[in-house]
Amino acid sequence: MTLRMEGLRLRYGDVVALDHLSLTVPAGEVVGFLGANGAGKTTAMRAVFGLVSLEAGEVTWQGARIGPDERRRFGYMPEERGLYPGMVVREQVEYLARLHGMSAPDAKRSAAVWLERVGVADRAGGKVEALSLGNQQRVQLAAALVHGPELLVLDEPMSGLDPTGVEVIGQVLAEEAASGRGVLFSSHQLDLVEHVCDSVAIIDHGRLVVTGRVDDLATGGNPRLVVRVEGDRDGSWARALPGAHVIGVEGGTVRLVLDEGADSQPVLAAAMQAGPVRQFGFERRRLSEVFREALACAT
Amino acid sequence: MRYVIPVVAVLLIGYRLWRRRQGQPPWLLAAARARLARRHRTRWDGPSSPVGLVAAREIRERLRSRAFRIGTGLVLLVVIAGVIIPVLRQGSHPHENVGVVGTLSAPLRQAVLAVGADQGVEIDLTQVPSESVADQQLQAKQINLAIVDGQRVVVKSASSLTGDRVVAAVAQTVALQSGLQQAGLAPEQAAALLHPKVLPVTSLEPAAPPANRTARVTTTYGLILIYILLTQYGTWILMGVVEEKANRVVEVLLSTIRTSQMLTGKVVGLGAVALAQGTLLVTVALVLAAAVGSDLVKGAAPVVVVSILVWLVLGYIFYCWVYAAAGALASRQEHVQSLAFPLQVPILFGYIVSLTALASQHPSTFIHVLAYLPPTAPFAMSVLVADSAVAWWQVVISAALIILATVGVARLATTVYSRAILRTGRRVRLGEVLGHAAA
Repeated sequence: MTLRMEGLRLRYGDVVALDHLSLTVPAGEVVGFLGANGAGKTTAMRAVFGLVSLEAGEVTWQGARIGPDERRRFGYMPEERGLYPGMVVREQVEYLARLHGMSAPDAKRSAAVWLERVGVADRAGGKVEALSLGNQQRVQLAAALVHGPELLVLDEPMSGLDPTGVEVIGQVLAEEAASGRGVLFSSHQLDLVEHVCDSVAIIDHGRLVVTGRVDDLATGGNPRLVVRVEGDRDGSWARALPGAHVIGVEGGTVRLVLDEGADSQPVLAAAMQAGPVRQFGFERRRLSEVFREALACAT
Repeated sequence: MRYVIPVVAVLLIGYRLWRRRQGQPPWLLAAARARLARRHRTRWDGPSSPVGLVAAREIRERLRSRAFRIGTGLVLLVVIAGVIIPVLRQGSHPHENVGVVGTLSAPLRQAVLAVGADQGVEIDLTQVPSESVADQQLQAKQINLAIVDGQRVVVKSASSLTGDRVVAAVAQTVALQSGLQQAGLAPEQAAALLHPKVLPVTSLEPAAPPANRTARVTTTYGLILIYILLTQYGTWILMGVVEEKANRVVEVLLSTIRTSQMLTGKVVGLGAVALAQGTLLVTVALVLAAAVGSDLVKGAAPVVVVSILVWLVLGYIFYCWVYAAAGALASRQEHVQSLAFPLQVPILFGYIVSLTALASQHPSTFIHVLAYLPPTAPFAMSVLVADSAVAWWQVVISAALIILATVGVARLATTVYSRAILRTGRRVRLGEVLGHAAA
C-alpha cells in the first residue's frame, strides 16, 4: 500500500516542472509535500492521476503502474477546486462517490457521514454556488474522502480556510492516516502544516531538496532559543552576543541560534541585564527554516 | 426476404435474454473475456457504469433546469400554434350579407351562392320585407348588397361596386342572369350558361404523386426541427464542457474516469434528452394535426417522419463530438459564442440549401452530392427522401458514411479534449493541440 514516484520528469516548453523527482508515500503516514508556488507540487500530484504526460519516470501503487482501476480507489482534491455550481451539495458528493464505484445506498450513507464530518451537513440540501468558498472547500474535501479511498492526494487543502477549517482538515488527515491510509498533501505555507505531517518532502524547481521525518528535521542543526524580555521591543540586547546570532525578532520575542558547541547561559545573562526575562527556552527548528537552509545548500 | 429481418431481430433478442440469464457464456476463454471487458469498458454497460452515471447526471440536471422546461413549453406552444392556426383560418370564411327583396328564383339563388364559393366567401341571403327596409339595413351596414326582385342590385355607395370583389361579382351575375332571361331563356338555361359543367380532361403525362406536397410540408417542419435541435444541443454540450473546464470540476472527474467515458456519457445523456424532446414535439404535432384534420399530417408518409428522426439522431451523434472538442478549447464562458459560430456554419448551410431545394420541383445534383457529405447529409438526405428521389440503399450508404465519419470525429475530438481540457488561463488554439500530436 505504498505510493512511489520514481524519476518523474516533465518540461513545459523551457520550464522544468519535474526534474527526476522521486517520492514515497507509505501507508498510515501523512506526507507533507512542500515548496514555493510553481515548485512542481501540482504537476507531481496530477501525474499520480495520469492527468499529465510524463517525459520519464513512473508512478506506482503497490509496486505496479497505476491504471484507471487503481485511480478509482484514490481520493483527489485538486488545487483548482471544482464542483458543479448548480448542483445540490448532497447529490454532488453522492455522484462523485458513485463514479468511484460505490453503490447508490452506500454513496448516500457515506455522503451524509462525510458532510457531517466536515461540518456542512446543514447545507447539504442547498446548491454548491450558495456556499461560501470555505464551505465549498469542505464539500470538496468530503468529495475526496466519500468513497473511503486507499490513498489521499490533496493539493493545498488548507488554502483559503479559516482556522477551524484548517483544524478540521488536520484532524481528518490524522484520522485517515491512523486508519492505515497514505496521505499526500501539498502546501506552500510550511509552518501552518508542520504539526499535521509525519514526514515532509520539500521540492524546488521540480527537484526534491529535503525529505525526512518532521521530528528529525526539526531537531536537527544547532539548538535555537526563544527569549522575551519585558519592555524590549527590538531585541537590541541580543545583537553582537558571542556564541549566538539572532534569526528573527517578532513583537519583542527574539529567536537565536547558538553556534556549534556554544552555551546558552551567557545569552540568559545578557537578557537578564536588559530587563526582567519573561520567556526563555529551546525551540524546534521551523520547517520554513529547514526549507530556507535546504535551498541555500542546494544553490 | 421480407421475413428475414424480423426473424433475425427476434433471434438476437432471444439470444441476449438467454445470455443474461446464463451469465457469461461458458465457452469464452477467461483471457478473451477480460479483453472484451476492457474493450467495452467505455461503452454503456448499465446505469452504474461511469458512462451511465455521467449520462444520468446530464439528463437529471437538464430536466431540472427551469430554462429547459420553459423552453420546451414555448417550443410546444409554437408547434401547437403552427398546427392549429392554419386550420382555424381555413374554418373561418368571411361572410357577405346579401338582402333579398321580393322573390329570387332558385337558379339565380344558386348562381349567387356559387359566386360566393368562387370568391372564397360565404354568402348569407336574408329576406328583407321591403326596399325601404333594405335601404335602412344598407345604411346600417347590416347588409352589403340588396337584390330587388331578382332584377336590380342596390348598394350603399357606387364605389363598393369597384372596391368589393364579391359585391361586383354578385351584381354582374344578377345582371347576366336577368339579361339572359329577358332574352328569352328559361332561368335554368341561363344558370347552365353561367356555370358550364367542367369536361373530363385526360392528361398524357402522369400527375405528380399526391403525397409529394404533404411530404414536403412535413419535411420542411422536420428540417426546422433538425436545425434547431442540432444547434441547441450542440451548444449545450459546448457550454457543459466549458462549464466543467471553467470551474475545474473536470479535474476531479478525469482523475476518476477516462476521458472517453466522460465524453460518451455526456453525449449519450444529452442525446437522450434531445431525442426525447424531438419525439415529443413530433408526436404532439402529429397527434394534434390528426385530431384537428390539419394538412400537416394528411397523407404524411411514416417513412418521412421516421427518416427525419433517424437523421436527427445521426446528425446529433456526428456534431456533438465536434462541439465537445470545441468546448475543451475555451477557458471561459465568454468563449462559447465565438467557438459555437464556426460550427453552426455547415449546419446553417445544409439547412438553407435543403430548404431551398425543397421549394424547387426537382432536387439538383448539388443536393445529391450534399446528401452524401456527413456534415450536410441530415438535411439534404431528408429532402431526397421526401421527394422519393433516392433508393433505400442510397440512404443506407449515406448513413454508413456519416457513422464512419462520426467514429473518426469522435476519436479526434477525444484527443483534442484530453489535451486541451486541463490547459487553463487562455483559449487554446486548435493548432497547438493538434501540432502537439504530430510532435
